[in-house]
Amino acid sequence: MAKFKKERNRDVSIPNGSMSDIAFLLLLFFMVSTVFVQEKKFWVERDRWPIAESIERIPRNHTTTIYVMRDETILIDDIPTRIESSEDVFVSSTLIRKKADDPELVVCFRTDRDTKYGVMSDVMRQLQDAQTLVVAFETQQRQN
Amino acid sequence: MKIGRKRKSKAEIPTSSMSDIAFLLIIFFMATTKFDVKEGIKIVLPQAAEGGSEQAQTLTLTEKEMTRLQITEDGRIAVNNEAPRAYESGELDALIQQKVKINQQMIFKVITDREATYDSMIRVVDRLKAAKIEKISLSTN
Repeated sequence: MAKFKKERNRDVSIPNGSMSDIAFLLLLFFMVSTVFVQEKKFWVERDRWPIAESIERIPRNHTTTIYVMRDETILIDDIPTRIESSEDVFVSSTLIRKKADDPELVVCFRTDRDTKYGVMSDVMRQLQDAQTLVVAFETQQRQN
Repeated sequence: MKIGRKRKSKAEIPTSSMSDIAFLLIIFFMATTKFDVKEGIKIVLPQAAEGGSEQAQTLTLTEKEMTRLQITEDGRIAVNNEAPRAYESGELDALIQQKVKINQQMIFKVITDREATYDSMIRVVDRLKAAKIEKISLSTN
């Protein structure tokens, strides 16, 4: 009579030898993609932006941001400035340089919602002088 | 007497907790990462007239072609030559639709007072963008 071999119970285990490799890959991704935003002296908090409904996403790679504070201080490239007269052309001169580096430049405004429109108008006039015509007004999404 | 040979012990760095450390770091980066996405209202400004007023073209547009939305210092809106008054968002939408019915290619000129708030301008531009209006002009008085 033939002998039946007893089936051995095999150990079922998930191979976890490469677990740390996966973990380190993920870690590297987050380390590379993380940018710690430094707190600026001049800053417009997100909750001070105006609220709008019909907003669109703006690709970051061709943007530069201009902050306009309630006290009419303008911050461009981390340098605060003011437009008191037509001779204050710091904004346009900076943007002419930036436009030469990137012809597809989009200027994003982070403006306090209570800022007077006059200063915005002055900045936009300088944008026109610098031929930087595509602008985006950053807003908060209206929550329905 | 027998002298026992000293067994050489293998020098190893324990790596079993490596993945725990890595995952802890991942959680830290996942929790602190904030993707800074830019969202807002996009507008294309008109070209500045070159060479002063010599080359600047003056166009005279009728009310059928252009609607003037004048924002006053206190945020009220005057449509064309009407008296300024406060508009709710719904009222503004209805007004824009009414103007578009007259002319599909209607130009909307938003004239904001220098003393008016930026928010009041955005409110009007937002309603125009919501109505898919492309021809928007921004100016001040």
